[in-house]
Amino acid sequence: MKMIIGGAFQGQLAWAKAYLKDHDWKIEEHEWIDGKSCEFEDLCHCRGIYDFHEYIRRCLKENHEFSCREVIESNPELVIVTNEIGYGLVPVDDFERKYREYTGRICTELAGASDLVVRVVMGIGTAIKGEL
Amino acid sequence: MFHVITGGSGSGKSAYAEEELLRLAANSPDTEKYYIATMEPFGEETLKKIERHRRMRAGKGFQTVECYAGLAGCAKELVKEAGGKNVNEKDEDCDRRKRCVLLECMSNLVANEMYRPDGAREYTVREILSGISMLLETCTHVVVVTNEVCADGNAESEEMMQYKQNLSRINQRMAQMADAVTEVVYGIPVEIKR
Repeated sequence: MKMIIGGAFQGQLAWAKAYLKDHDWKIEEHEWIDGKSCEFEDLCHCRGIYDFHEYIRRCLKENHEFSCREVIESNPELVIVTNEIGYGLVPVDDFERKYREYTGRICTELAGASDLVVRVVMGIGTAIKGEL
Repeated sequence: MFHVITGGSGSGKSAYAEEELLRLAANSPDTEKYYIATMEPFGEETLKKIERHRRMRAGKGFQTVECYAGLAGCAKELVKEAGGKNVNEKDEDCDRRKRCVLLECMSNLVANEMYRPDGAREYTVREILSGISMLLETCTHVVVVTNEVCADGNAESEEMMQYKQNLSRINQRMAQMADAVTEVVYGIPVEIKR
């Protein structure tokens, strides 16, 4: 599993696509799913997901139980592109607070199962786990 | 060793901080491990959080000390409790080798000092930094968990800005004094200072 993370609008998806293409890991457009709109089950057989944080938000909103273990076991080669949302003041809104913390816990578990975690800032990726 | 650990919400910084303190303590025989808890048990969500942290610490040999405000006083109490001499005597042997402290977390302590009736209010930064200095004087290893709260675009009230500024001033001063600063990102320690 690989994770490409970063703040909003840091260019992590473009970075991921360029990097994967250069490293014989090219993911075709139709092999990516969009966390905002995909079916929940798609996560277990797609090759890549972007806006993964939005997927988690939908899981919480729609009471869909998310299992890190299931994803890790059924789709160990998955590439996850996501925003980091855990910084800044704790949100006053109950749902937003829960969503932020829950997303952090899930990403921590998935990062533990990843061989590569890259943080993208201003379009530039730095490996914080594994090597580029 | 003074290690400051930061990170976002749900980043695994607490688990990392605990491991770090256990590691440091294991290399310093005969040390007592203290956990300074700054989160006030207020409301169901906070209670759950505290319970979660308690479970994480269970069986690891921590003595928990609650400190919602007045860190310097709390540090003095630690010395007394451990049967040490009065820290004001500045005795070289004030048994500092015997204490390892994990303080969690600074973001709560700052809020408490700013808003609690018995808090330091406008003297929050000064009060907390003097508490940190006291801990460093009286303990072998100090690990402080803090929080990155400034990288957001929330609509800001003056109060929120003041809170951010206070916490950031404390973080910057601690980072200057620290031997190590680590940001934990999804469980991955990223070195900021060594």
